[in-house]
Amino acid sequence: MLRVQDVTKSYGGRAVVNRVSFDVHPGEVFALLGPNGAGKTTLIRMITDILRPDTGTILLDDRPIDEKTRHSIAYLPEERGLYRRSRVIDVLAYYGQLKGLTLRAARDAARSLLGRVELGEWADKQVQALSKGMQQKVQLCTALIGTPRLLILDEPFSGLDPLNVQLFEEILHERRAAGATVLLSTHQMNKVEEVCDRALMLNRGHMVLYGTVHEIRRRHADHAVMVRTEQTPGSLPGVMAVERANHDFKLTLEANTTPESVLHALLEQGVRLESFALATLPLEDIFVKVVREGLGLDGGSSGPPTVDESPVARARP
Amino acid sequence: MRLSGARVRTVARREFLTTVRRKAFLFMLVGTPAYFAFVMSLSAGTGARERAEALKELAVLGVVDSSGLYTHAAREIRTELGADENPFARRTPAAASSAPSSFRTRIHFFSDQATAEAALRAGRASQVLVIPADYLERGNVRRYARKSNMFSGADRRAVSGWLAGNLVAGRVGDEVAARVARPAEKESFFTLSKQGRFELKDDRREIVDFLLPFAFAMLLGLCIMIGGQYLLQGVAEEKESRILESLLCTVSAEELMAGKLFGLGAVGLLVVAIWVGTGAFAAGPAFLLMGVTIPVAWIAIGLGYFVLGYLFYGSIMTGIGAMTNNMREAQQFAVWFSFANFVPFILITKILGHPSSALATGLSLFPPTAATAMILRLTAPSSVVPAWQLALSLALLAGATWLALVGSARVFRVALLLYGKTPSLPEILRWARQG
Repeated sequence: MLRVQDVTKSYGGRAVVNRVSFDVHPGEVFALLGPNGAGKTTLIRMITDILRPDTGTILLDDRPIDEKTRHSIAYLPEERGLYRRSRVIDVLAYYGQLKGLTLRAARDAARSLLGRVELGEWADKQVQALSKGMQQKVQLCTALIGTPRLLILDEPFSGLDPLNVQLFEEILHERRAAGATVLLSTHQMNKVEEVCDRALMLNRGHMVLYGTVHEIRRRHADHAVMVRTEQTPGSLPGVMAVERANHDFKLTLEANTTPESVLHALLEQGVRLESFALATLPLEDIFVKVVREGLGLDGGSSGPPTVDESPVARARP
Repeated sequence: MRLSGARVRTVARREFLTTVRRKAFLFMLVGTPAYFAFVMSLSAGTGARERAEALKELAVLGVVDSSGLYTHAAREIRTELGADENPFARRTPAAASSAPSSFRTRIHFFSDQATAEAALRAGRASQVLVIPADYLERGNVRRYARKSNMFSGADRRAVSGWLAGNLVAGRVGDEVAARVARPAEKESFFTLSKQGRFELKDDRREIVDFLLPFAFAMLLGLCIMIGGQYLLQGVAEEKESRILESLLCTVSAEELMAGKLFGLGAVGLLVVAIWVGTGAFAAGPAFLLMGVTIPVAWIAIGLGYFVLGYLFYGSIMTGIGAMTNNMREAQQFAVWFSFANFVPFILITKILGHPSSALATGLSLFPPTAATAMILRLTAPSSVVPAWQLALSLALLAGATWLALVGSARVFRVALLLYGKTPSLPEILRWARQG
């Protein structure tokens, strides 16, 4: 669907995006992560053809982003606004027309979208009469109108109440089910874990994490397993330490011990297991860890961050 | 960069409709000409009013005659003031009937200056004229008044006429004495017109000769600036309210800029059409009566200057709107360019008085002032602008407009998404050169 190959963008001699490569597959929800100033917005602006990369290529369906392919992309930026003195329906119809719809089709699509976000009766009101949350829903509609195939959403959940977060998620799933691909940039890691298939993390313009969310969590797991059982396990070979919290045990393994061997040993002891899992970190902890290491705060390198696997090799079929 | 006609039309349509539907637009459309008509009628009537006021205040002239030349002089001054000096006044019967056209000043002789001054201080005399003994040899007189009128010398002319007429009274006939007092009272002054004919220049014609170029150039200048201001406001508002980033995903910066220029240019043309149409309807019959015609060539040239001038200033305003962070900041930069467009009005007397001078010619060739200065020169009475100057002026303005368009489009594209920092001049120049 989307292929970013070796893209670099510099300002004043400083690379804001440095040799970034990744693929976004059709129909997936892909997370773009990174601390503030990591280069996410610049990367998105290059994908949406607002900015041109200094080097590298960006392809949508194997074609460079141009006037035609750009129509397939919709973008909801983090810094967003609306024409405050215009009617809601007129604002949406304007965006629809810019995406190639006729005025009538744009108005019809706008009314349908407003109905979906529960703002049907506000169509003829001025934008400034709407609350902040309502305006955010209208902003989502400006991105959704014209049925884009690649939906780029930058912090779509910020400032929304839980009900509207749920509504946004439902719409995201609907669009995905209808064949749209979603590129989601957010700092809400719980949302990434909930809705995203794969993720890319940038730090200071460099790729530092890339892969499926599951893989990333597994790679950054402690060398430990989490066991839930009502029995207390006995001494296990290859286990350095045991931490207990009620019926949950965290077993820290020696370097050459595998989780499979520990599971085998537990079963041999006759321990009745309720659950057995790798002791993975929440994505948020991985984010903090990677960023701090990149900044040299955790004894990591203070030079350019490096990706912890070969993303291009993995991404390219 | 290829522009999509459909997207440019969509942007232009939105800009046009949202602008003309605003209440502020209607207010500007009606309010601006109403304001100018009010101010101009006031200023056109001011001269006549001040003359009448000066003569009305000169009710009693105290005279201390040490020369003995005026012992038998007339004991009053009668001054007739033509009612036709304000062309607007004639059209309103109330104004014509309310303004007195004949003024009478009584002459009261005093034996010495001290008594006369006391009468002046006490308000029994409006002014005091002291005629020394050696007046005939030296021509010195002294006039005393409680205050002076800055804007009219009508009282001085009345006193001069009395002095001249009574100096010769008794030595020559009454008619000669009257002619000595007012030698060119009924002068008819003819000047060469653009058509090569000598035309009578009366007071009304003089005012029309000033008003026509002024109104024509002001109309052009205002329309250029109105379009430019709308552009400035529109871009600054979109930038301030962070609309641009989502917009730029679907429409390129160049398409956005072109759509804005076309849409708001159409607003400017609509304003011109309405103002010219209304003006022609309201003042057309009066102009026809006075033999004033507006050549079609002026309209065509004016339209050419409007298009180029609007694109020149519009491009600059768009660039300023994109570079700055809010409307207030944008206005601070834009005011200098708006000022440049109106510089010819500061020098209007020099341009209309000497339309072929180096100053007038230079201003009409210099792109920022070309539109308004050339229109002033073209419409100035008795002025004939050489065709090569007109062609050169348009060519220079077209060249400057092209540079402004290209440079502003580059600045617009780069600066639109730049928030929180106003670029430095070297940065702006670099963007304008390289994009």
